[in-house]
Amino acid sequence: MARRKSKFSLLMWLVFSGISGGGITGYLKPNIPIVGPMIAKLTTKGESVAADSGTLSNNSANSLLSGQPSASYGASTVSGQLASARQPANGQQQGTVSANVAAGRQSNGNLLIASFNIQVLGQSKISKPGMKEKLAHVIRQFDLVAIQEVRAKADNVIPDLVAAVNANGSRYNFVIGPRLGRSNSKEQYTYVFNTNTVEHDPSSVGTVNDPNDLLHREPFVTRFRARTQSPSQAFTFWMVNIHTDPDEVPEEVDALADVFRVMQQARADEDDVILLGDLNASEKQLGRLGKIPGMRWTVTGVTTNTRKNKAYDNILFQGQATQEYTGRWGVYDLERNLGLNRDQALQVSDHLPVWAEFRVWEAPRPTTPVGRPSLYN
Amino acid sequence: MDLLWVDLVANPRFHYLPTHGSRFGRYFSSSALNESNTPYDSKMLNEPPLMNPASTLHQLMRGTSRERAQAAEYLAQQGPDAAYAASELTAACGDHAEISHWAVAALEELGPPPTSAIDALATLAQSEAPLTAYWAVTLLGRAGRDAAEHQGVIADLLEQSPDLALREKAAWSLGRMHADCSQARLALQNAANSQVARLSRLATKVLQQIET
Repeated sequence: MARRKSKFSLLMWLVFSGISGGGITGYLKPNIPIVGPMIAKLTTKGESVAADSGTLSNNSANSLLSGQPSASYGASTVSGQLASARQPANGQQQGTVSANVAAGRQSNGNLLIASFNIQVLGQSKISKPGMKEKLAHVIRQFDLVAIQEVRAKADNVIPDLVAAVNANGSRYNFVIGPRLGRSNSKEQYTYVFNTNTVEHDPSSVGTVNDPNDLLHREPFVTRFRARTQSPSQAFTFWMVNIHTDPDEVPEEVDALADVFRVMQQARADEDDVILLGDLNASEKQLGRLGKIPGMRWTVTGVTTNTRKNKAYDNILFQGQATQEYTGRWGVYDLERNLGLNRDQALQVSDHLPVWAEFRVWEAPRPTTPVGRPSLYN
Repeated sequence: MDLLWVDLVANPRFHYLPTHGSRFGRYFSSSALNESNTPYDSKMLNEPPLMNPASTLHQLMRGTSRERAQAAEYLAQQGPDAAYAASELTAACGDHAEISHWAVAALEELGPPPTSAIDALATLAQSEAPLTAYWAVTLLGRAGRDAAEHQGVIADLLEQSPDLALREKAAWSLGRMHADCSQARLALQNAANSQVARLSRLATKVLQQIET
């Protein structure tokens, strides 16, 4: 029965996607203008597990982005409302301070977006005593977490983890991508998000098409919107979740520059693209990605692995477009925040979560269009 | 559509917390949440086993299924410090999923293998277990010129393996080794003519590198 239901949901989703045409497929695959959100999952080397909405929270019916053109956003009044919410002085970066996230939870309604490579997130990890609770505690510090390295044969790992997140009454949900990888060792990306504060657009979920096979694990993209009382003025954005191949970092970060440009042009009404994940590269190793005009990377000058000797993870966006960024960011120290020693923290993951804060109201669009090819020529 | 959103998100910055015995609970503001957001009270993780290299290798190779998985997981937490187990981890990639997942995670972070492991890796490159062969070829590539004496093995795989991922990795590996033997050149030339974009691209790049 569950299997039939799942197939039915997938069918309905496909039909809806075809009707709406709001997915990014038409842009990524211009020869197939209206295909919907399945994007590359049918064409790439990943297994045929479609990006699938989680079902733990009953929010699927109300989460269709209406695609309001940003020109209609009433940003001027919004700015006034936000004035008092702007926490950081001077837009400074805050770096690795364990208290940051706690402060972030008191961030007057801003969105906290994180990236967390949870090493080998599979059945054996979440079965360890206390592990689910620890991961749940970390996830609850943020509104939206891009997770890398889900490695599991079964499909219950993320639902079980999200159930643990919601065990305290929270209302998180998830979107998960297909299993990806060239060898028979596959990984999945997932987004886990607080449905009280952010929602995803089911018509804009997919895996980036990579016909030349430049990326080992093609980015998993999903469009989100902050939940506000005025949805047409809420911050909307693409999330681009990536875990690069450590053996081909220079080639892959260069390819990500193209992914970023494609995503900026994926929808005429969306200029905000947040690329985040385990890049296996510090801010000094971002190649063409880092050379995109106006590109900002939030994590600088700190390490992001649990052993505290490497900078692998980051959150990037184009500063001119994504003015919703408050300037606050951090690296969540598992040892300090969870009261663990180094070996225990390594059992949670060999990476630390990195996070950045964004306002929930869409900022006015820059007068010069961003993401146009001419900018990069 | 927006009306629906507003209706369902009447107070968007409020967080939902359950009351005891109630499925639906009450709403608390952010500040209330912060006050109640005390540190989690979960059980502490078990202390990881203190393992020395010899016992880790023994456990990885000869332990029970559970012990092998534990050893692989332990090594995955060691980063480049697990390099001493390079060939054993590569062999463990052919074990069942619970072990191979951790072995792959360990190998990803391992960096170049020690030179003492190179001969064993050359043997493992010919394993019938696809993931073992894939990672052996990867590590030989990471070893660079130190593994160049095995370029013939890698060239064979590039030429003959039915596993596309392995062939692509073999092309990459030959590049890292600065392969220059005629067998490697020929295999690369054939691969450069492949219809598979990535394989062709990798092989062409290595050939260009050889010529310069």
